[in-house]
Amino acid sequence: MMFAVGAWKHPLECWRRSDRKRFRRGLTCWCGVLVGVGLAGPMASGGGFERAIETASSRVVKLYGLGAGLQAGYGTGIVISDDGLVLTVLSLLVDARSIRAVAWDGSRFEAEVVRRDLQRQLVLLRLRPEEASAGGAADDGGRTNNEAAMRDAGAAQGEARGMLYFDLEWGIESDGEKEDTAPRCATALEPGEWVLAAGNPFKVADGPEPVSVVRGVYSTRTHLDARRRVRDFPYTGEVLVVDAITSNPGGEGSALVNLEGALLGMVGRVVVSNRTHTHLNYAVPCEVLRAFLRESLPVDGESLAIAPTVSDPESIDYGIRVARTGYQKVLPFVERVRRGSPAARAGVRADDLILSVNGRTIADVADYDARVSSLAPDRPVELVLRRGREILTVIIEPEGGR
Amino acid sequence: MKAQFGRLPEWAPSPRWATVSAIMACGLLSAGAGAGDRTAAAKDDYERLRASQVVFRSVVEKLRPCLVRIDTVGGAQPREVLLPTDEEEGAPSGRRRASQNPFRDSPGSDFVIADGSTTGLIQSPDGYIITSSFNFVRDPVLISVTLPDGRRLAADLIARDHVRKIALLKVEATDLPTPVWKSRDEVRVGEWAIALGLGFGGAEPSVTVGIVSALSRMAGNAIQTDAKLSPANYGGPLCDVRGRVVGICVPMAQRPGELAGVELYDAGVGFVVFKERVEEIVARLKKGESFYRGWLGMVSDPSAPHAVIVRNVADPSPMRSAGIVPGDRIVRAAGQEISHFGQLVQTLNMLAAGDSVELDVEREGAIFSVTVTLARSADLGALPELSEPFDPSAPLPPPDEEESDE
Repeated sequence: MMFAVGAWKHPLECWRRSDRKRFRRGLTCWCGVLVGVGLAGPMASGGGFERAIETASSRVVKLYGLGAGLQAGYGTGIVISDDGLVLTVLSLLVDARSIRAVAWDGSRFEAEVVRRDLQRQLVLLRLRPEEASAGGAADDGGRTNNEAAMRDAGAAQGEARGMLYFDLEWGIESDGEKEDTAPRCATALEPGEWVLAAGNPFKVADGPEPVSVVRGVYSTRTHLDARRRVRDFPYTGEVLVVDAITSNPGGEGSALVNLEGALLGMVGRVVVSNRTHTHLNYAVPCEVLRAFLRESLPVDGESLAIAPTVSDPESIDYGIRVARTGYQKVLPFVERVRRGSPAARAGVRADDLILSVNGRTIADVADYDARVSSLAPDRPVELVLRRGREILTVIIEPEGGR
Repeated sequence: MKAQFGRLPEWAPSPRWATVSAIMACGLLSAGAGAGDRTAAAKDDYERLRASQVVFRSVVEKLRPCLVRIDTVGGAQPREVLLPTDEEEGAPSGRRRASQNPFRDSPGSDFVIADGSTTGLIQSPDGYIITSSFNFVRDPVLISVTLPDGRRLAADLIARDHVRKIALLKVEATDLPTPVWKSRDEVRVGEWAIALGLGFGGAEPSVTVGIVSALSRMAGNAIQTDAKLSPANYGGPLCDVRGRVVGICVPMAQRPGELAGVELYDAGVGFVVFKERVEEIVARLKKGESFYRGWLGMVSDPSAPHAVIVRNVADPSPMRSAGIVPGDRIVRAAGQEISHFGQLVQTLNMLAAGDSVELDVEREGAIFSVTVTLARSADLGALPELSEPFDPSAPLPPPDEEESDE
């Protein structure tokens, strides 16, 4: 199901605001309602998703950049500050000489890359208003003079101003006083909750047209274990899986929100799950976006290096030797356990069949090798073993805590 | 106020406007009920959505104690992932073999079988677990079942229904919780349907939500839903809003094959086997009897694409037992007009070996009916050598002569 809404304020947006200052602003929304009703006619009551749709679709930008082959040259980004910081997923798009962004009201921006995160596959962009000659003035129709003046003042300084945004610093661990102005991250999320993804899949929303919104429910939280074409996808952290078809070309970077319009995460790329071999519709959760943001904008201005931690397989020795034959795809039966080794202390015995390592099912010896080599050498590892008809779990404590 | 203003939407009025519009709004509020009604309706919609997600959540809570995670080890390896760049490696080996033996049970899809966990639903307190046969396509060496309380047990695969894609497992356990099922008669098209699965691993089921789309599909074996079904929840339950099980999620298509229909995952076209059919199937599976795809044991004439003309009949085979000979034309199967071979396959798709089907056959201008009892592919004999290129117009040998061959 897809919605496209006009930009009128829904009264629900007002109801949740309680203090007087906002109440006054809230009342103004009633006028918005009247306008909206006038426009929508018999569709005055729109199903209850209006608030979330309005909140999300006004806080994403359409991105245009580099495309090649199957890589779409367009996408979506989430605005995370009123001065034009935008988060999106890492893709070829951001390698363009010129990245362009179009906000919900049709205003146009140039975007530059502030920071990339190869591991989380995220990019932070900063928007700057396009040169006045590029046609920004054409979209000024609905604005008040005051605002246009403000936008112009911002443009003069080469900065975006007054953008609608999601406040990522708030929500899960709110600390202290901050003015309640922007929607935040949701504090809780349960499977079965309604979710909406606002973005520009297939580039169907053109120019100032409102972005596409897709509806579904939140399915589950899982660790991403996926591939993109032939390669494994680098991001292996937590993701929110949804039952809406969100992962489409251009939909990457869409804002995933709940019924209240609170941000849940950012829709990821088109990937295929290694577990189910199906295309996965997922979003990178707020806390991961926040972690990236905090690294990207350090207080002391120092930038942090991101090095993926890959341990040396040679350095991991639990004292287990699995049975190997010339044929690669064999079940990982324990052939020998070295006396006094961590595995022996944990109770692993010869002829045990290793079913899983740290919760991940092991298909064969090659899979076992791959899994073990990706473990942290100083951390305990949990093995599930089959011994005869019994299934047992052992925890191996590595030696000395290297 | 000014700082705040900077974050206001473009269309939000300036402070001066706010005051004016506040007065206007108050006037409207007291004067006209029209706007109030509309906003009340909008609020109703919103509240209804909020209530619906609470209901979905309650369904998860009700069903979670009855869901088990299934992990398999060993068995046939998944076929290599065929990506556009890998084409030089050639077609899947299954295709090549299929051309050598026409009566081979093919997977029915190029879908790569899942490596991860799958889902099962507790069927009885003494440890029977119902799931989808999709989860055991590889014939695994070992099946382990993780109960909701965390116990991990080795499971025996009792039997499989390769036609309706249902499988029955047994673990050594007692006093397991079982879900409440809903009769198909009570299910209504358009009602909410919630599918649960543990295919992503972990203890929390994944949830997808849709509606019941149709009550009778796949020759009356399945209910259709638009809830997203995929390897993440095949073998898991589809439930109504009260947490009653409407059916077991399975991959299905209008053509045979263990993996047929998997490519429709997440497409909004999903199938579940409903209560009454599951009970019938489980009663037989408990006796250790599997259901296999039913075969006729004939090859149709490819030179006549708009009719099903028997080109050759395996020996032995159900068709040979029924006295069908090359040149016979199949006009109707199970009461359905048959105009091409695919239609015949579709008509027989949901029939298992042992099931009977009535065929109307035309021979030399006369139409007669035969009842054919379908057989397993393993019970079919070889196709006799055709001594000369088959000519449908050539005179046929009398049926008796053919039967005397057996």
